[in-house]
This record gives sequence, C-alpha cells and structure tokens, in this order.
Amino acid sequence: MSLPKDLIFFENPTIWNDFGGDYGGFGGVVWQMFIWSLIVGLLVAVWMIYNLIYFRHADGDPDHKDALKAGVFPHERGNPKIEIAWTIAPLILVSWLTLISLGPLDYMWDVDGQEADITIEVEASQWWWDFGTPICNEEKENPQEWCSTGIYQKPAEFDQCETSKARGCLEIPHGAVIHFRLTSIDVLHAFNFPELGIKQDVVPNLDTLTWLDTKEFNAGHYSIWCAEYCGRDHAIMDADIFITEIA
Amino acid sequence: MNSKSLKILSLGLIMSILLVVSSLPTGDSLPTGIVDDNQVANGCSCHGADPNTGVTINLSNLPERYNSSQTYTLTLNISGGPDALVDGNQGGFFIQANYGTLVSIDNNTWMPEDETHLTHNEEGNNYREWTFNWIAPESDTKVVKFTVYGNSVNGMDGNIGDSWNKGVFSSAGVNAKIEAEEHGELSMPQKLIYAFTVLAVTLSVVVVGNRMVVNDQSFEDVIKSYWKSVYPWLTTTDHKYIGTLYICTGFGFFFIGGILGLLIRWQLFEPRVDGDFLTYEEYNSTFTMHGTTMIFLAAMPIIFGFANYLIPLQIGARDLAFPRLNALSYWLLPTGGFVVYMGYFTGGAGDVGWTGYTPYASGDSSTTPGTDFWVAGQIMLGASSTLTAINFLTTMLRMRAPGVTMMRMPLFSWSIFVTVFLLLLSIPVFTVALILLMADRTFGTLYFDIDAGGDPILWQHLFWYFGHPEVYIVILPAFGVLSEIISTFSRRPIFGYTSMVYAMATIGVISFIVYGHHMFTTGADPLFRFIVMLTTMLVAVPTGIKIFNWLATMTGGSIVLKTPMIFALGTVITFTIGGITGIILASIPVDIALHDGYFVVAHFHYVLVGGTIFAFVGGVYYWYPKMTGKMMNEKLGLLHFALSFIFFNAAFYPMHNVGIEGMPRRYATYDAEFAELNEFITITAFIFGFAQLIFVYNVFYSYKNGEEAGDNPWDGWSLEWATASPPPHNSFTEIPTLKLAEEEDK
Repeated sequence: MSLPKDLIFFENPTIWNDFGGDYGGFGGVVWQMFIWSLIVGLLVAVWMIYNLIYFRHADGDPDHKDALKAGVFPHERGNPKIEIAWTIAPLILVSWLTLISLGPLDYMWDVDGQEADITIEVEASQWWWDFGTPICNEEKENPQEWCSTGIYQKPAEFDQCETSKARGCLEIPHGAVIHFRLTSIDVLHAFNFPELGIKQDVVPNLDTLTWLDTKEFNAGHYSIWCAEYCGRDHAIMDADIFITEIA
Repeated sequence: MNSKSLKILSLGLIMSILLVVSSLPTGDSLPTGIVDDNQVANGCSCHGADPNTGVTINLSNLPERYNSSQTYTLTLNISGGPDALVDGNQGGFFIQANYGTLVSIDNNTWMPEDETHLTHNEEGNNYREWTFNWIAPESDTKVVKFTVYGNSVNGMDGNIGDSWNKGVFSSAGVNAKIEAEEHGELSMPQKLIYAFTVLAVTLSVVVVGNRMVVNDQSFEDVIKSYWKSVYPWLTTTDHKYIGTLYICTGFGFFFIGGILGLLIRWQLFEPRVDGDFLTYEEYNSTFTMHGTTMIFLAAMPIIFGFANYLIPLQIGARDLAFPRLNALSYWLLPTGGFVVYMGYFTGGAGDVGWTGYTPYASGDSSTTPGTDFWVAGQIMLGASSTLTAINFLTTMLRMRAPGVTMMRMPLFSWSIFVTVFLLLLSIPVFTVALILLMADRTFGTLYFDIDAGGDPILWQHLFWYFGHPEVYIVILPAFGVLSEIISTFSRRPIFGYTSMVYAMATIGVISFIVYGHHMFTTGADPLFRFIVMLTTMLVAVPTGIKIFNWLATMTGGSIVLKTPMIFALGTVITFTIGGITGIILASIPVDIALHDGYFVVAHFHYVLVGGTIFAFVGGVYYWYPKMTGKMMNEKLGLLHFALSFIFFNAAFYPMHNVGIEGMPRRYATYDAEFAELNEFITITAFIFGFAQLIFVYNVFYSYKNGEEAGDNPWDGWSLEWATASPPPHNSFTEIPTLKLAEEEDK
C-alpha cells in the first residue's frame, strides 16, 4: 500500500468482521467506534470553526456588559437545560458503546462454549515460546483424523516448522478449535495474535487461557508476537504458527 | 591486550583453524560432535544461523593464573535456550585452547583424529555439562584462550528450535604479563551525555574566561559575582522563584526527554538488528527514561511550577502556607532526577519501562544498578509530590483572600485543587510499591518473588491505582489553563463555571475506579474488568462537558486570536482526538486487540503532548508577560504553533494506523511491513522536535526585546492580573479583595 493510502485508511484486518459472534461481530464494534469518533470529532471541529468565523473580535468593538475586569469575579454564564443536554447525550452514547462491546466480549470469554478439539500447553520464557505436544479432547465426539486414536498424531504433511527461524514454532490443523494454556517460567509475556486481535498475558504462577477457531482463518503462515515488555529480546520474541489444511 | 587486537587475533585464529581443518578428513554427522570445518569456523550453524545470546556458557574450575604443565579438570556447562525433552538429546559443545592440551576423561567427550579440540559424542549429547582435563603448557608466560561453542537443543528431531552461543575464556600463566583491558565502546546515550558535558564545560570556560579578560577581573571575582546571582535561587523560599525554578527544570528535562524520544524514533526509522544504532538493551533503557522523564521530571514539574507561581496570586495570598517545605519539595526534584539518570554512568539506565512491571523489575535480568537508581530516584520524586500536595491543600483551604470563596476561585486554581487531592491519595501508594520493590532488589525481601509465592500482578494493581489518577493529575491542570485562556480571549466569563468545577471533581473521583483498564489482558476477574470498562466510558461525560463548555464560551464571545488562544484551540482539537481514542480503548474487545500496541502510544501522546504540553506551552505564552513584564513575540509564536501543530499530528496520527496493523510498543525492531509508516513518523517527529527550538529562542529573545506588558495585557479577571508585572516581592503590596460583578454593576 502506498504511504498516503496507509495514512488515510485504517487497515482493519478483514478477519475482524467475521469474528465475534452474533452481535455484529468485533469488526462491527470497531466500525461503530470509528463512526461515532468521526461524528464527535467533527462536531467539535465544526463548532469551533463556526465560532471562529462568526464571533471574532474586530477593532473598535464595544465592550460587552459581561466583559472581564481584573479583580472582579465575572457574571455567571450558563444554561442549565443545554448543560444537562450535553451531559445526557454523551451518557447515552457511551452506554451504547459499552453495550455493543459486550457481544464480542461474550464470544471471546466464552471458553466453555467452545469445546476444544486440541489443547496446547504454551510455556513462555525469556525470550522463547515453547509449545507442548497437542493434547486431544477425548470427550468430543467425531474425533478428527489427527486425534483418531485419542492421542495426537502429527499429520505427515506437517513439516513447515523445519524451516522456521522464529523463537518458537507450531503447526496446527485447519478447522479445529484450539485452546492454548499459557504459563510463563520467568517474567510477564503476552501471547499476541495480531491478525485476530487476540492478546492474553502470560503470567508466571497463573494459568491463563485463550482459544482460537482455525476455521476462521485461511490456511497459511501467521505470527505470534510477545506484547508484554519482557526484557532485552522482547522485540524478537516471535513464533511462527502454520495453519495447514489436512487433505 | 585491548579488545580490538583481541578481535583481530580471534579472527586470525578462527581463520587459521579453518585452514588447518579444511586440509584434514572430516565427518559431518551431528551425534559425533563438531568435526566439520564449517562448524569449527562458524559455530553450530545448522542449529540456527546466528548465535543466541539467551544461551549462557560457563567454564568453571579454570584458574585465573595457571602453573606450567599442571593438569586442571575443567567443567563446561550451558544454560538457557529451549527446554529439552526428558528422554531426548540435551546439547553439545566444542572447545579449543590455543596452548596446552585438552584431554577427554570419560565417555561423553572425544577428540577427533588429528584435531586439538574436544567435542561431545553420541553419549555426551544427553548432557548440558561435560568434564575434561586440560594440561597447561610448559611455558607459564602465555595467555591461553579457550574458544567454546555450546549448543542447547530441545531434543526433538531436526535442529529446529535449538540455539547456540559462543564463549571465550582465558587463563594466564603465573608469569604472564597482562595488559589492562580497555573499556568497551561507549553507548549512544552515554556519548550524548558526555558530549553535552564537554559542551557545557567548554561553554562555561569560555564565558568565565571572556568575563575575566573583558572586565579584567580575577577568577575569584568572576565566580563571586556569579555566586551572587545564583545564591538567591539556591536559598529562596519565594513561591515565584521556586515556581520559575520548577518551570525551568521541567522544560530542561522536557528537552532531555525529547532527545531520548528522538533516539527512539531514529532507532525505529527502519527495522534494525541489535546494535545497528542502539542495542536492544540501550533501546529499552531509552524508552524507560523517556517515559519516566516526561511524566515525572517534565510534565509534573511544569505543572507545579505554574501552580507555585500562580496559585498564591490567584487566591490573593502572599506565599504558600509552608514556604520552606516548598523549597524542600523543589530540591528533591533535581536530586531525584539526577539519581534516576545515574544509571547512564553505571553501565545502563533502568530498562523496566516507566511502569516497571514485576517480576521483570524485581528480577535479575533488568539492568543493575540502573534499575535500582530508577527506583531510588522515583521514591524521592514521590516524596516531593506528596509534600507539594500537602502544601497546596493547606494554602488553598486556609489562605484565600477576602471574597475568594471556594466557588469563586479561578478554574486553574480549581484544577490544581482537585489535582493535589488526587496526588495526596495516589502518590503514597506508588511510593510504598517502590519501597517494596527496592527492598526486593536490594535487601532480598520476597514481596514480588514468584517462586516464593508472590502475586505476579500485585505490582500492576499498586502501580495503576496510582498510575491512572496520575494521568488525570497531568491533564486536569491543562483543563484549568485552557479554561483561563479561552475565557480571557473570548472576552466573556466561562460558560457554566459551576458545571466545570463539578466536572473536574467528578473526573477526580472516577479516576480512582478506572485503573483496571490497563489490565484487560492480565487475566483479572471478568467482573472487575467489566466494571472498569463502564467507569472508563463514564469519564467521557465530564470531559465532554468541559469541551462543550469551552466551545459555548466562544459562542457569543468576542474572540481575540493571539498565540495563547491559538495554542488553546489547537489543544482542544488534539485533546479531543486523544479523548476519543481513549473511549475506543475503553471497550474491552477493542482494547484486547490494541493493548500494548502503537494505537495506545498514539492515544497517550495525543493526551499528554496534545493535551498537557500544548496547553502549558499556551500557558507560557499567556503568563510570560505576568512573570517577566515583557510580551512574547507574536510572529515567532505563530510560527511555533503552526510547525508544532502540523508536525505533531503528522508524527503521532500515523501511529494509530501502525497500531491497528498490529505493531506492539516497546519494540526495538519490527516487521518490515511497518517500515514505510515508521519512516514517515520518524522524519516528522524530528521536525516537530526541532520546531521547539523556536519556542526556546522566543523565550530568550522576548526577555530582552519584548514590548512592555503592563499589569493586565490580556484583560483577564483573576487576581494575578490585579498586581504588577512582574509581581512585587511579596506578590501583593496589600491583600486584595475579590469583588463581584453583580455588586460592581450597581
């Protein structure tokens, strides 16, 4: 993308639109946020420009009866009706924004509603991502091919990690719900999946969990970045995630 | 031996090894250890292209001074790198000494035929520690160098995920001469600091020397005459002097912090590898010091400088309630600042971010003693702020002139009043947290130690309980300044004085129950997160009231567009953008996507630079005539505004875009996809930085050449405009009485 285009457009990752359940999705919330931002921002800017055009001081203007005088507390100016109006209006707006935020939030936090096909233990350390062997969910019906024996079998076509130069690599099948159990052995890190806007701190002595449904993605290469400052190599603590279609 | 010749020597050594080895028959399979000539030269390259500094190599039992022909049993171990499978391979090594003989003593190591180095064999692959003998050379005047490669493997098939590193150790014969090792190269920030020191010393020599020659004075006389002009500043308890000191110190640190900011931008001009400009560690120190400086050493001192100068004038008092305490508060500031910066002289400033999250900040991997200085300095700054808060509260509650009731205080005074309440309730919490951290780092306590059962996010609760009120501490006084300027230059009273006061008080109260929005991704309780989302959204209501009231003040007014007003209006625009992005970030799902990314960086720069700094620069233009008796130059002021406003937005607005595309903050390097925008940001940020020099020039230029201001150049109403410019020694020759417009009309 060219620089001017980059500056004008927010590149809202397209996948955000599909992500986030029934309430218009996460992309919808982002979209509404920007629309309302634009409206409020324009309101302020237009009102200010209007003031600057119509209420400029010209030389020779007589002093208004309200004009300020040093050492004198001025007349009170105000209009309770208007002031109450612009207290209530933002209140309604932010309540609405809070409400629409709850939809994708429910979806994101509804870990129980998203039964895992496989669970992967992720251990972060300075400055590595270590992925354990996936664990199959025995309770889930219709186990996939890679879980057909109840024990995870690495599909034969999974070989992309061989070439990875990142600080960790994971190859996962397309079309599976995956739970990540996150823990850290030293300091805080964060498991950040920028394409999907997933971010979960990885905290020592605390098991955090995040999940993703690889159906939402095209097969291909994705990256995990560390998003919580963790020391010297924070910026290069990345991991490759390959989502591979099983033929 | 200096490091340069060491480098050349080691390069030559490796080259000669390469030559020798290449003429010998070699094997190549891994379990047999390193026998391949390429591996000898370049390390374990098949386990990854480059050495990894996360792997630590240790060669123990190596004597500092060896005796000739004695046999030493050495132990080599490696740590760090990936965790290995229990039943898989663990690691491998290679060691070569340029003198003496290495001898294998067990089944884990071997020496390939016709070689002089030791390496692991198949059995030795299962360890990360190996033991072998070294027979020292006959001559005890040599310096022996051991070149070691250590490979930490994860035990899975193939070489993926393994990492290796190189180590060099040396042992000198008892009669060897060792040259003192030269100091390493200076880091970039150190170079800058030394450069500025040299510059300052040179400048002072020139100035003093010039005076000695021109006035034909002795050195002592010159110093005495300087001492005479400096002495009152060192011993003053006058609120106007202390206020000026605060403001100058604040802008001085703003300059230093700005240079650090530009260093950050230059590092991010393009995706760089470690050490290309700054090393990653230096970069981490740089953003830590940039943040700490800008918040604690620039923004807050500027605010308290203005408060010191103006509050007694606005409420009609002769000074603060505790003038000597005020002096103490001030002097803790440069002292604390100096301590925070001590790290640069001790091998690296604190690198924990301005938030100092534990367990990183309490652990060993943060810079030592740089981080200790960072903690100690901040405790002093905390003490300074606490004392200031007490001082202002007392002054404003007890020393108002007749007629200045609470609800007739100017809005700047009101904003400071709310601010000092927030300070008093929040800063001590931070100070306590810092003391705990200091105890952990220095005295071996375990408050934040994870292995001892410390709560990993306790620090975040303590820090943000302070940290969020803190951001209102720096923005509320800016609101106060804007209210003053906009009302004065619209030539009308502020619209909705009462609702302005209540709005500020509401922001103050809410500020204590929103802090959890910094912790949406920590895994805190969902209910806690939901509540803080709601309260954070609510902040928009009183903030909106303030913005609408300012605009309504202008409507129906008689607007005079002078530099202070133009800065105030620019601030309203940039602050509104910052406020709106604040609401976007309050929504948990959006925040989870944007948290710790450049969108957040854009947001808080819009609020802190576009809000606080712009407002207070406007405040300088507004109150400079009162403080000096001279008007500031309008043309330079307008040029300063135009360049600042355009290039501030050009530099910080694109950060929103970079953030949405996913670039995390505190990254010393980044993915190539963000390169174009970052380049643009860096260039515009530099222009923004240089534009501030116009402001500095204007301040000095106008001090000499400005027009006489008179008592009330802008036609303001509050009491500071009723006294002389600059105010007389005791501020008011006679305590004034604030009159009421209604009574005046009669």
